[in-house]
Amino acid sequence: MGGDHAPAEVVAGALAWAADNADNHLLLVGKQEVIEAEIASIKEAGGFACSPEQVVIVNANEVIGCDESPATALRRKKDASIVVASALVKEGKADAVISCGSTGAQMAAAIFILGRMEGIDRPPIIASLPGEGGHRTLLVDVGANVDCKPAQLLQFALLGSVYARSVLGIASPRIGLLNNGSEETKGNALAQQVYSLLKEQEDINFIGNVEGRDLFSPIADIVVCDGFTGNILLKALEGLGLFFASSIMKEIDKPPSILESFDYSRVGGAPLLGVNGVSIVCHGSSHREAVANGLRIAEECFRNGIVARQAEELAKCEL
Amino acid sequence: MQEFFELARKLLAEQLDVEIDSILMETTFEALEADSIDIVEMIMGLEDIYHVEFPEEELEDFPTVGSLITALYQYLQEVGK
Repeated sequence: MGGDHAPAEVVAGALAWAADNADNHLLLVGKQEVIEAEIASIKEAGGFACSPEQVVIVNANEVIGCDESPATALRRKKDASIVVASALVKEGKADAVISCGSTGAQMAAAIFILGRMEGIDRPPIIASLPGEGGHRTLLVDVGANVDCKPAQLLQFALLGSVYARSVLGIASPRIGLLNNGSEETKGNALAQQVYSLLKEQEDINFIGNVEGRDLFSPIADIVVCDGFTGNILLKALEGLGLFFASSIMKEIDKPPSILESFDYSRVGGAPLLGVNGVSIVCHGSSHREAVANGLRIAEECFRNGIVARQAEELAKCEL
Repeated sequence: MQEFFELARKLLAEQLDVEIDSILMETTFEALEADSIDIVEMIMGLEDIYHVEFPEEELEDFPTVGSLITALYQYLQEVGK
C-alpha cells in the first residue's frame, strides 16, 4: 500500500480493476482501518463497482519508506505491507504482488521472501519501449539495481533473453548493450567489462553496443543497462512524452496515440525478473489508472506463467 | 571467534564471488562492493547454521567485516550458542 498517492489512488485503482475483472480477487494489504476508510469513501461517492466478495483486506501495520535501507528494513519490519504481500505469494495465497512503494524494499522482498532463481544475484526490472513499425525493445534494468557488477549485467541479459524467448516467443532475441558508442572499446569500465562477458556468452545472441538513439529502431530486442542508467532513461522518456504531448496540444486537438506509449500510467508496471513469483513494480507516482494497469500486467504475467517459463529456460543456460 | 569468522567470510566470499583471502577483519564492506542485501544474506546464512535470529541492527554501524562479525559473535555468546 505504498506510493506517493497511497492509499486513496491505490485503493481506487485496485477497485476499478476488480470491477472490470469480476473473475479475479483482490487482496489489499496495508493498515486495515485506513483501507476500510478509503473503501467507505469510494462507496459513499458511488464508485464501488466490484463485488464485495472480490475484495479482501489483509492487515499490515508497517511501511518501509524509500529513505530506509531496504534489506535492513525488511528484517526489522516483518509486518510491512510489502513483506506481508510477498509472503502471500510465497505461500500460494496470492498469484502476484504489485506495489507503488519503495522499489528497493520490493526487490529485497522478492530476493528474501519469493527467492531468486538459480544463478541470479539481483532481479532486474524489465520495461518495454515502443519503436518503429510496432517493434518493441525491452530495456533491462530500469531501476531495481543502481550499482551493478559486470556479472549482474550478464545475468540481466540472460533473463531478458529468457523472457523474450519464453513469454514473447522470439526465437533468438537480439541483445544489445546500452553504450555511448557502437564500437567495442566505447563506454566506461563497467560497459567494457560487460561487453567482454556478453561476447563470450554462448546462450545469447549479442549484437554489440546500442546507442540511446537506436532504442526505438528495430535493431535489438533487448537492451541491457544498469538500473541507475535505465531509470534515468525511462523517466527522461516519460518527460519527453509529456513535453511533446503538451506542446502538440497547443497546435492540434488530440496528440498522436504514439505518445501514449510514453505515459507510465498506461503501462502500469513492470515485472521483476529472475524471482520465484510474480512481483510487479509500479511507478511511485502512480494514480488510479496506473494501478489498474499494473494489476492488468500482474494478471498477464501470472496467466502467461512467466515464472515457470523463465525457470525452465534459465536452467538451459550456463551461468 | 576465529571459527565463526572463517564461516562468515566463506559465506561472504561465495556470495560475492571473491577470493576468501581477500576478506580480512579490517576489510570494509565498501571495499568488497557488498551492499546491504549481501550483508543481510550473509547474516541469514549464519542464522541458518546457528539456528538463531540475530537482533536487528543498523548495518551502517558496521563498516568492516570484523566489526559486524564481532557484534554477531557477542550475541551468540549471550544466547549461549
